[in-house]
Amino acid sequence: MSTPRFKSWCFWGLVAGTLPILVVCLLLGASGAGLPDLQTPAGMAILKLRLGRVLAGFIVGAGLAGSGVVLQALLRNPLAEPYVLGVSSGAGLGAALAILTGLGAAIGVLALPLFAFVMACVTLTLVYFLACRGADEPSVYGLILSGVIVSSICSSLLMFMISIAPLEGLHSILWWMLGNLQASSNNQLMIAGLLTTLSFFAVWSLAPQLNALTLGTEMAHHLGVRTQRIVRIGLVLATLMTASCVALSGLIGFVGLIVPHAMRSLMGPDHRRLLPAAALGGGLFLVICDAAARTILAPVEIPVGVITALLGGPFFLFILRRKRGPGWIG
Amino acid sequence: MDRMKYAIECRGVRAGYGRQMILEDVNLAIPEGDLLAILGPNGAGKSTFFKVLTGLHPLQAGEISLFGHPLNRLSSAERARLIAVVPQEVETPVAFSVAEIVLMGRTAILPRWTQPSAHDFQVVDRALVYTDVAGIKDRPFSDLSGGEKQRTIIAMALAQEPRLILMDEATSHLDINHRFEVMQIVERLNQESGVTVVMISHDLGLAADFCRRLVLFDHGRIAADGVPAAVLTDELLKSVYHCPIHVRQDSQTGTLNIQPARRPNTSRAGRGIRVHVVAGGGAGEELMRHLALAGYSFSAGVLNRGDSDTQIAETLGAELACEKPFSPIGPEAIQKALTLAQAAQVVVLTDVPFGPGNLPNLDILEDALRRGHPVLALAGIESRDYSPGRTASRRLEDLVKQGALICPTIADLIAHLPAASPSEKDNP
Repeated sequence: MSTPRFKSWCFWGLVAGTLPILVVCLLLGASGAGLPDLQTPAGMAILKLRLGRVLAGFIVGAGLAGSGVVLQALLRNPLAEPYVLGVSSGAGLGAALAILTGLGAAIGVLALPLFAFVMACVTLTLVYFLACRGADEPSVYGLILSGVIVSSICSSLLMFMISIAPLEGLHSILWWMLGNLQASSNNQLMIAGLLTTLSFFAVWSLAPQLNALTLGTEMAHHLGVRTQRIVRIGLVLATLMTASCVALSGLIGFVGLIVPHAMRSLMGPDHRRLLPAAALGGGLFLVICDAAARTILAPVEIPVGVITALLGGPFFLFILRRKRGPGWIG
Repeated sequence: MDRMKYAIECRGVRAGYGRQMILEDVNLAIPEGDLLAILGPNGAGKSTFFKVLTGLHPLQAGEISLFGHPLNRLSSAERARLIAVVPQEVETPVAFSVAEIVLMGRTAILPRWTQPSAHDFQVVDRALVYTDVAGIKDRPFSDLSGGEKQRTIIAMALAQEPRLILMDEATSHLDINHRFEVMQIVERLNQESGVTVVMISHDLGLAADFCRRLVLFDHGRIAADGVPAAVLTDELLKSVYHCPIHVRQDSQTGTLNIQPARRPNTSRAGRGIRVHVVAGGGAGEELMRHLALAGYSFSAGVLNRGDSDTQIAETLGAELACEKPFSPIGPEAIQKALTLAQAAQVVVLTDVPFGPGNLPNLDILEDALRRGHPVLALAGIESRDYSPGRTASRRLEDLVKQGALICPTIADLIAHLPAASPSEKDNP
């Protein structure tokens, strides 16, 4: 099952399958399957709308799955993902601030990702220093514990803001919390795409170091890794990816947890291959989920976060059950 | 240029945690190609010394050079190309295959964007073969046994192509067979490729077996440094480990045997009871050990000096009646043994072979029976009787008629020994 040949097959199969699957999803929509009539302006608009959604889904899925892989490697913990460290909640709080205070409208398209990133960085720094407790490097347990605590504080603040929000703001913030891949503008899509792509390639270049870090920081040090530096860079890059995704699409859960696990159990844990695999797999996963969200109850649209959770939960249980597989052990 | 001959050079190294100093003024020069062990009790500073050598822990004073390069001027990658570390245990929660783990040895060398080069794979393959894990290279590391894991980690260290390997208690979780195997791999590496090896070990015997030089740490300083025979002495070890330790040369293999002396356990059944042991030629070793464990005090003899039984008896603090090496028992020695046996409540005969030289030892048994003291003997004298006309067997038969008891095993014999209890105190 887990021979190097099988892993290779899986990987190249995924690479080859990406484009066809994206095209198929492009053909699905609330207005029916197939290419819309491109002769009419309405048809062109529909195609543009679908293209935007497919792109947004791919970017967000790739970014969340990529940062999940990075965090799991840095923290040597199978449960690590953007949500656990409070990064997502921080970014969410920032985005909600931008929406509710009206600053978003005042500054422009960049306001949402900017607010999300700043707040995500603030929470990450808070989590990091809480976890350090005077030492040079944070302990893994410290990071996760303080992550959970800071994350729940952020969620409470978010709830508080919802409770005092005016009615018109309420709908947009609620819709955003459920996750929504309809980008508000092309610029926003481009910025999120650019940031995610750049951070992804930066993180990919650290793949050998991430591999070594799974043996523990001391062993990684002996192998010539500047551990403290790599951990910090990795955390910042993962935060950047998460924040730009959250700013683009709202809170979409499970992708950062499930996709890395699924890819690891199919293609092995080597980050040089796992990172691109998780990015492609995460992107496809979210695009497929979104296509389902658009078509299952058409013309009613289900929030995509609901679909990822409904698909992701059972899938995650399935992965946990076959524990002896070549993913995480113990 | 002279400095280049040294793999490690430490001058006045001091390091510690906060105000507590762990290393105080360590001066050590290790030539390239050496195979050396660092010994010492827990907390002596061995592990901190390794952490300082690998740049994991900062120096507070002094300087360290590796192969002539000051440690603080080496980058992480440069350092990793000089030193590889094999720790006690490596765990990863991720199911990397053995080959993937070994490839991690080249983390500092791997190209950032492209696949590892053919040379990288060649080095990895060679390391896999060298440590005999090539056959399991696709298996998940976390599924391996302790010995396989440790061989994989050594292969990873080899893939680093280091000039120095530090082994931090790398064999202490392994069973005796795997421990030996891992050490043989390391020894071969040292001899064939000239890699310098420095190992921390708690197994003094193993260190003495494989290393030409031992360094004994005590309280952050070097207490002794030299060839095994010079470092592993009763006095030095006692002062460092704070317990009596005996170093003996094994009569069969010539290796050094290091053992803490047994402290008699006064709560055992043998308390206050004295046994006289008739042994020789190594036949008494196990019995004497069991007697000491059970708390009996005992005397032994007549034994020849230099006999392994004599060494054991001395180690266990027994009073002895001795004869010159390889000499028949003379009147003086037998008289001493009779006196010792008379002070004992029981006389025990081990499975010692009999020849013309040690027949007088049977006098001790006769004397004891005559005085009404119990005599216990291990069975099977027929097979080890080399006395003319099988005198020993016939004399023992007579002794059995007079009340001597034959026991098939040592455990059986121990069970028949008188035990200390209030009712028997008056009637020894």
